[in-house]
Amino acid sequence: MATNGAVGQIGQFTLDNGLRLVTAPAATGQVAAVNLWYGVGSRHEVPGRTGFAHLFEHLMFQGSGNVSKGAHFDAVERLGGDINASTSTDRTNYYETVPEHALDLALWLEADRLATLREGMTQEVLDNQRDVVKNERRQRYDNVPYGTAFERILRLGYPEGHPYHHSTIGSMADLDAADLDYVLSFHERHYGPDNLVLTVVSDLDPGDVHERVKRYFGGIPAREVAAEAPDAALEGPIGGPFRETVTEPVPAPAVFLGYRVAPYGDREFDVMSLTSAILGQGQGSRLYRRLVVERGLANDDGGASADLLPFRYTPSLMLVSMIAREGVSGDELEAAILEEVAALADGVTEEELERARAVLERDHLQSVSTPGGLADSLGSHTQLFDDPGLVYTWPQRWAEISTDDIVAAAKRILTAENRLAVRFEPESQSETAEA
Amino acid sequence: MLQPRPTLGAPSPYTFPKPRRLRVGGGTVVAIDVPRQPYASIRLVQPAGGVNEPLEHMGVAALTNEALEDGVRGNSSLAPALERHGADWISRVTWDSFVTGVDAPANRINDAVSLFAEAVRAPALRPDDVVRRRDQLVERFWLEASVASTLAARAIGGQLFTGRYATPLSGGPARLQELTPEAVADFHAGSIAAVAGTLVVVGDLSDVDLEELGKTVFGDADPTPSPSTSAPGSAPGELPRIVVLDRPGSVQSALILAHRAPARSEIDLPRADGMSDVLGGMFTSRLNMELRERLGYTYGVGCRFDLRRDSGVFLLSTQVEAPTTAHSVTATLGEIERLQADGVTESELAAVRESNTVGLPVSYSTARSLAGALVEAVIHDLPEDHVDRLRAGFERITSEDLHEAAREYLHPRDSVVIVAGDAKEVAGPLEETGFGPVTVHDPETLWT
Repeated sequence: MATNGAVGQIGQFTLDNGLRLVTAPAATGQVAAVNLWYGVGSRHEVPGRTGFAHLFEHLMFQGSGNVSKGAHFDAVERLGGDINASTSTDRTNYYETVPEHALDLALWLEADRLATLREGMTQEVLDNQRDVVKNERRQRYDNVPYGTAFERILRLGYPEGHPYHHSTIGSMADLDAADLDYVLSFHERHYGPDNLVLTVVSDLDPGDVHERVKRYFGGIPAREVAAEAPDAALEGPIGGPFRETVTEPVPAPAVFLGYRVAPYGDREFDVMSLTSAILGQGQGSRLYRRLVVERGLANDDGGASADLLPFRYTPSLMLVSMIAREGVSGDELEAAILEEVAALADGVTEEELERARAVLERDHLQSVSTPGGLADSLGSHTQLFDDPGLVYTWPQRWAEISTDDIVAAAKRILTAENRLAVRFEPESQSETAEA
Repeated sequence: MLQPRPTLGAPSPYTFPKPRRLRVGGGTVVAIDVPRQPYASIRLVQPAGGVNEPLEHMGVAALTNEALEDGVRGNSSLAPALERHGADWISRVTWDSFVTGVDAPANRINDAVSLFAEAVRAPALRPDDVVRRRDQLVERFWLEASVASTLAARAIGGQLFTGRYATPLSGGPARLQELTPEAVADFHAGSIAAVAGTLVVVGDLSDVDLEELGKTVFGDADPTPSPSTSAPGSAPGELPRIVVLDRPGSVQSALILAHRAPARSEIDLPRADGMSDVLGGMFTSRLNMELRERLGYTYGVGCRFDLRRDSGVFLLSTQVEAPTTAHSVTATLGEIERLQADGVTESELAAVRESNTVGLPVSYSTARSLAGALVEAVIHDLPEDHVDRLRAGFERITSEDLHEAAREYLHPRDSVVIVAGDAKEVAGPLEETGFGPVTVHDPETLWT
């Protein structure tokens, strides 16, 4: 990939109201990918208000001052466009890819809900979307095997009251408690052009895109008061080992392990990215080769048993998870995983490291090979690091990391003291019969 | 403060890129050059899908597909070899095709294709590896079926068809467990190694010699035989009916309404898909507006045609909060009835027409999606301009066409409603809908 040339083609502009605009060329013509990263996520939520940033994401499609309920979706769907949104701990992301001639409409729709959402919000809309989100929670967490693993992991990995202690979906009770006043104040506190990175990937001239964005967003004032996120500072290891065992009607025992690592963007995070790739990404990884192929202890997940949760404003988590084969107990599987984790401290080979780099580079390149994916990465790197060019140079960070770096990090980080474990065990037949 | 809503200008006319096509040995290469596209998609299409399997070896295509990942040296050696080139192994079996390939950085296409070709034509297929893959597939079948929506989807075939389609594509756990390494080796030798197939290549092809690529992949394999088709039989039983797959304690029900549909070559796609878009295919569809946006029963609902060479299925699926299951069924039937009685609005017609015409640059903005369109053309013998023909069909479509399609292609009285949920809670209310007889099944007995 010609990184220098590509970086040189990134356009960056800042409007007077603080909105940051990023532009880049698309690989195919006639499309415009529009991506908005608002700097608000579940880390801004407080106890009793969990799930709100995500619920709010739903409300952003429910009508505003000049667009009726559902009409934003309708307008983009009519163009055959891709449209959706997502919420994480650190941001809320809205995006649409439209035919190029519809760029102005996409920008206007986004500007309208930024400027006038509060004029269109009603109690009826809030009640309806609360039900939708509760069904989303059922579909993704409560009605699927192992569905609650992620929120259990966060509860063990971050202390009570910490802004990363809870998942973005929130609790049913907190969703029920959401009220209209809070919706309105949430928009006022977090949704301003000064908290927004807007990215447009298209074949249009960057100056032209800048003019259009100025036209639609330039008149929207910055927030009067910028909201502050709760303190997410955290030092040292998890303080474990912490453990939770859940007995549920799951088809097989499952093991989820978590280790606290550095925030996303730190060098140690990069070291641990490579470590997790060596350990559990791809069919060449240690966990796949040893536990799936050689020992037959774990279910074949194609080589997707280790990864990092990238948190920018607090220590991130490295997660390792596997599901046991028939006849294999959760204890046996957990012990086998821990053996492989411990073995990282004994050394890794250059060949393993090269494979890990190739896997990470592949994932990175694939993610930026679509107009929407490129726009998302540019927005992410601008919002989190104020440097969209990182999209093209990020793989270079992995080139400078050595096997010694990985071994040293494994010794320091992958310890029992820094570990959490969530275990799922199937209900026995007798328990099921009694229930 | 805010500008007035902009008026859309005319879209630029879109034409699907004309692929380059060349015969190489016994095979055909079909390619689209996308300059600047950093990732390339390469696919080999062979007519060796589930429907081509002998009934006594159901699942052999899926298992063979899986076993190819053990590579030429066995022991799961393919993926690590590809990983070093930044490439990704792509493979899937459909009812009508056996598709393998790689996604690779544009500057590594030649290396990645060499590895890929070797893996498809001359895999080790060591018996130990095949048995390991087979046992893993059987266990994965149940792991996946523990998800309510997957469980319901896998039950469709047995409710609508006899013969091969009555068993899931992977063969179902009992049949799969009976497959031997010899059966896999035979299937591979006869249907994969010996058959040239069609190679689809999409990406920045500035440094790629397509003829050489074709030679690498096809070798001296025979030309691809023309598949033969005959319509499958229907499953016995009274229609319509409701089948509950008991999943005690479910807080949601996965719900599917399914009935048979024409084959891919027999259906008028713009009319059928356009009508399906209005009913449940779009976010702004009638079903989504009713079940999600008005009633708040679900996170989402969708419908589509699953079209094969010899038959098809129309299916509508959602997951709803358990107590709303029965009403979700009647509300769904009500929407179908309304569509059949009253047809579509002018606004819905415009949405269908526009989204399937002006949206094409978005649909085909990646190497993967362009390759997907070419693969579909190969599987169903479509002309290379089939995307443009579809677009022209949507440009011509009228509200009468969509109304007629609703009556022609939707058959709720010939449907099976499959509900994966808590039978204790949902069976009674489902009986009360009067839609049809309700039977309750233990999912573990479905595929023994």
